[in-house]
Amino acid sequence: MTPPGGGQSLRRAVLGGALVLLGLACGHVAWRQATMAGWRFDAIHRADPHEGWWLVALAAAITLLVVGALLFSTGLFPGAGTPAVFRLDWYLPFLRKKKAKETLPAPSWLARLASRVLPATWRADRITGKPGAIRRWLKWLGPSLLSSPLRRVVQATCLLVFLVLFFYVCWPYRARPAAEGQQFAGWKFSELDHESGAFRFSHPSDAGPRLEPGQPVFVVDDASAGSASDSIAFTVARQEPGHVALVPLNDLSAAQFDALLLHGGGWTICEQMPNRWPSHYADDLASKQWLPAELFLVIDPLVSLSTAIAARSWVWSLASAGAILIVCVLIPRGFCGYLCPLGTVIDLFDWTIGKRVTRFRVADDGWWVHLKYYLLAGTLVAALGGVLVSGFVAAIPVITRAALFLGEPLQTATLRGGHLVPALNSGQFLSIAMFAVVLGLGLLKPRFWCKYVCPSGAVFSLGNLFRVSERKVESTCINCNKCVEICPFDAIKPDFTTRVTDCTLCQTCGGVCPTHAIKFVERWNVVELKTANDPPTGETSLGRRGFLSLAAGAAAAVAGGGAIAVATKASGGRLAEADTNLPVRPPGSVPEPDFLQLCIRCGECFKACPNNVLQPEGFQQGLEGLWTPLVNADWAGCASSCNACGQVCPTGAIRALPLEEKRVVRMGLAIVDQQTCLPLADREACQLCVDECVAAGYDAIEFTRVHTRVDADGQPLAGSGFLAPVVLPEKCVGCGLCQTRCHAINAKEKHLLDESAIVIVAGDGREDRLRTGSYIALREIEAAERAKTQRANSPEGAYFVPEAGAPPETDPAPADVSDAENPFGLP
Amino acid sequence: MFALARSAVADSVEFLSGAKAEGTVTAIRKAAKEFDIEVKIGTRTLVRTYTFDKVHAVTMKGKRFVLTPLPANPTGAGAAAKGTSVASETGLQTRDQVMRQIDQIGRTPPDWFEATPLNYPQSLDLTWPLKPPNKGWNNQKNIGQYLWDIINPNPSRWRSGIRLVHHEMTVHKQDPELLQRDMKSLGTMYFQLFQDYPRAAFWLLQAKVDKGDVNAVMLGECYWRMGNRQMGLDMLNSSRLPMQAIKLLGDMGETDRAIRLADAFAKGRQPHEAYLLAGDACRAAGRLPQAIAYYQKVLDAPDARNQEYTARYSGRATDSMEAIRLIHRANVAQVADGTYRASSIGYNGNLEVEVKVAGHRVTSVTVTQHREKQFYAALSDTPAKILKKQSIQGIDATSRATITSQAIVNATAKALAKGAP
Repeated sequence: MTPPGGGQSLRRAVLGGALVLLGLACGHVAWRQATMAGWRFDAIHRADPHEGWWLVALAAAITLLVVGALLFSTGLFPGAGTPAVFRLDWYLPFLRKKKAKETLPAPSWLARLASRVLPATWRADRITGKPGAIRRWLKWLGPSLLSSPLRRVVQATCLLVFLVLFFYVCWPYRARPAAEGQQFAGWKFSELDHESGAFRFSHPSDAGPRLEPGQPVFVVDDASAGSASDSIAFTVARQEPGHVALVPLNDLSAAQFDALLLHGGGWTICEQMPNRWPSHYADDLASKQWLPAELFLVIDPLVSLSTAIAARSWVWSLASAGAILIVCVLIPRGFCGYLCPLGTVIDLFDWTIGKRVTRFRVADDGWWVHLKYYLLAGTLVAALGGVLVSGFVAAIPVITRAALFLGEPLQTATLRGGHLVPALNSGQFLSIAMFAVVLGLGLLKPRFWCKYVCPSGAVFSLGNLFRVSERKVESTCINCNKCVEICPFDAIKPDFTTRVTDCTLCQTCGGVCPTHAIKFVERWNVVELKTANDPPTGETSLGRRGFLSLAAGAAAAVAGGGAIAVATKASGGRLAEADTNLPVRPPGSVPEPDFLQLCIRCGECFKACPNNVLQPEGFQQGLEGLWTPLVNADWAGCASSCNACGQVCPTGAIRALPLEEKRVVRMGLAIVDQQTCLPLADREACQLCVDECVAAGYDAIEFTRVHTRVDADGQPLAGSGFLAPVVLPEKCVGCGLCQTRCHAINAKEKHLLDESAIVIVAGDGREDRLRTGSYIALREIEAAERAKTQRANSPEGAYFVPEAGAPPETDPAPADVSDAENPFGLP
Repeated sequence: MFALARSAVADSVEFLSGAKAEGTVTAIRKAAKEFDIEVKIGTRTLVRTYTFDKVHAVTMKGKRFVLTPLPANPTGAGAAAKGTSVASETGLQTRDQVMRQIDQIGRTPPDWFEATPLNYPQSLDLTWPLKPPNKGWNNQKNIGQYLWDIINPNPSRWRSGIRLVHHEMTVHKQDPELLQRDMKSLGTMYFQLFQDYPRAAFWLLQAKVDKGDVNAVMLGECYWRMGNRQMGLDMLNSSRLPMQAIKLLGDMGETDRAIRLADAFAKGRQPHEAYLLAGDACRAAGRLPQAIAYYQKVLDAPDARNQEYTARYSGRATDSMEAIRLIHRANVAQVADGTYRASSIGYNGNLEVEVKVAGHRVTSVTVTQHREKQFYAALSDTPAKILKKQSIQGIDATSRATITSQAIVNATAKALAKGAP
């Protein structure tokens, strides 16, 4: 081994230093942008390409820093015995007895650290080659764990994180409405302290509430406590028995000031704002999201890539896909080997079942060798045609849907009760069957899916073209074939060199090599490599047959993708047709054509949705709408305190709206069936929908009296007829709570109706589907329009009183009271 | 000392509400009976105008002027002006005080009036003839029917309804007959929708209602609610009282008179309504067996105008009987030991509760069957509350789970009632 020359190492150190500096600069920019963005993507502007660049910059900075630091250190310390520019070894090297004349390389810093921290019995002996307790334990766990423990630990961690994110973070039922807080009635406003601006209230009884100074309180008048929302916010300044001094939180309006002075009745001091809009579901999700719930979905590059192509727009998760691709320059296909929970599940399948059932194993590659590229090409061509099918085969959506359709019903049934599991439809069974196939492929070869089929993996394989690190084999190789046998990805050729598009840098091979011939170094390293094609691989580089198959495959992919696009469009949603029955989409969904192109069908929103309002579509819109979320308001209504679906959507098909925005989004319009509605049909009194709407705080359904009987004079008879519901289109958001209740009680419980008499309907004019911008602003514009027409229609009507008095005359305030004995004109 | 020195400089206002504020009186308008005052709050300065009737006294330059004497009844003009009901006892206000209050408040619009837009369907016929056209019901054309169908059932529209009738009065300024009808409507609306008794009384007086009229009963109630019982009874001093008087008499505690009147009406064409009102009066007075007897009479009476009406009356009667039974019989102390089941309709369907009673204590409340989705917390919270309180009364609903909570309470009450003697 020849250490690099002095000039070379200087060059390395300089290059490394330059990269570090570049990385620092990049990191600085990323940090600034991230801080400005609050380390998250702005919910309203997720469709804006400027958002999220900080993430790409951050990934680039980290990669540059790592490469630069490695370069710099090997340049500065050339004598460390590594002739490589940098080494990325983290496998546990094969243990062997030291030969008599052999000089062992200096132990790595990690080994040195371990020798200081760990007891001797835990560590292996480098001289005798005897394993310590750690190695014995790892060996008991399995050979791949012994060779590359770090990789398995990362895999297990990622799978665990995925499961926690899915089954804990996206489990909304821990949320409870905030306590109403105590309310203390019967306070009188006594005095205003002009200096401090504090308002003093008194209470006849000394035994008042215990209020802490600085505590926020809300004051409403006793009569309207519990109904009015116009409370005044104060902070407690100090409290004595029977008295409390409160300082207004904001400047009081004149009306509030007058109310305080003039209101004769008592005041109620409330610990919580009375009748505030509930937010427990949104708060619960936010409190649990120390990592974004959709984390793994956004780092699957195919998710964002294909949606961006299909919708022809920036998708916010492209940033994180870009970030992961940049990191994978350093660890090629590291996503597949380390992060992907589907890959880990397939590994587990192979460990438990796959390796025991050998009858289906295939030895050689077949026609499927390059299937993943053709699948990738096909899905992207379909995406170009505006049809999104990548979600059916992309890695993370596949595992997410599997967890959803298999795990979620189990979780709900065990934790909440079987009657709360919605029925499965044919689409869901298809998804479950597809997942079974994905696992079943593992019977052919370990990780068959990942290596040959997975189009997300294909993106990383292509990304590998830009790799900077690579597995290399040195000439000390003794052709023992151990590495080939243990490689889970079949990424080692018969000559023990690397299939660079498949290798995930899992480093399992490094740990089994008895001669330590395998190293993970920079791509351009040629130091002491073994000769290629020895033994012969039998693989030819692209020959005529290869070229023909490539051409045929590519042609098939393009034709297939195109055909799928055309067929899906033809049998799909038929959005252009007038009589199309559109499904009701989650609140904040982008316009329907965009929605179909952006929704990756991962199912994350179903999981996060309380009470399964969102359910997967079957084939109502053909393949185009399969597994997209629709609102099943017969099952449940959209909770007013929840905005989870948008928060967990990885592509922005459902916009991540803050709760204040979400509560005004119209997802549909409730339509009352004039024929079947019980009061309208003159059958019986019923106000379920109105009560429900009022309870939810929307007040969007009001009454009209119907079927009033009149007497001979045409005067209505008191008590005759019914109160029937009327939906106010400007207030209804289409949450579906009314439909849920009518269906549950009138249809299912009492069997008075076949189906709910009030139904949420989507479609033009009945819903707001904004690509960008604020819904609150939209509502304000509409309200202003309404106010304008109202003003135009209402004449200036003075308060008419018969024989009204004369207009008032104004006297200036007297300069001095002693002059005017009776300044108020008292009798 | 400092406080004294300061108050010598600033003017101070004592409001009828009991609140005090200091500031500088900047202008006084004697004729309009109002004055302006500049008030400092911390760093801000506000100029506000107050009418004399809201202010008890002003101390200006060290001299105190009493503008409005403090009323004997502490919940006086201020509360009434806001349209909240005034709980009244006998003879708290003199006739003069009541009449002055009616005149003062009635001439001024309610505080929300100005901010309420005039909002009605353009198809409405603003001429509003005395008799609606015979061509059929049209609540988008005939104002009376619009008020009946659209305004009255919806609290959110009450203000705009009153605004509309005020507007109609300006339209009918020249037509005394229509104007009288408008005023009656307005009085009724202030009375029924807002319990704003001074304004209701003002407009009913303006309309010059006849004694023995429904509106006169209403006026009587206004007087009573405003604190003069005798004036209220005077309005009921007539040989031909409408049926509505039964309810007022009952409310005023004249239960025997109410029953006598109801019995008289029961001989007429509508015994159901009369018996119901008599039952209500007895129930309000705590004469429960008598109340149940009257409700039973409703059930036993011959069929009303048609089947629908019969069903309606008997429905109301059975509901009231059930309520009496539940309130007074679902008392754990009276319930025999045992296990009782009953159901009530919850959020997503029937909800069944099993209640165990031992030694006059509820030992367990279990929801045995339910289909609830939304409000899971209530399923365990509410039974726990019932166990703790050992009563079905005063159980506050688990927040945002009212329907489920109430269903559990109702079912528990029904179950307990089964075990009552």
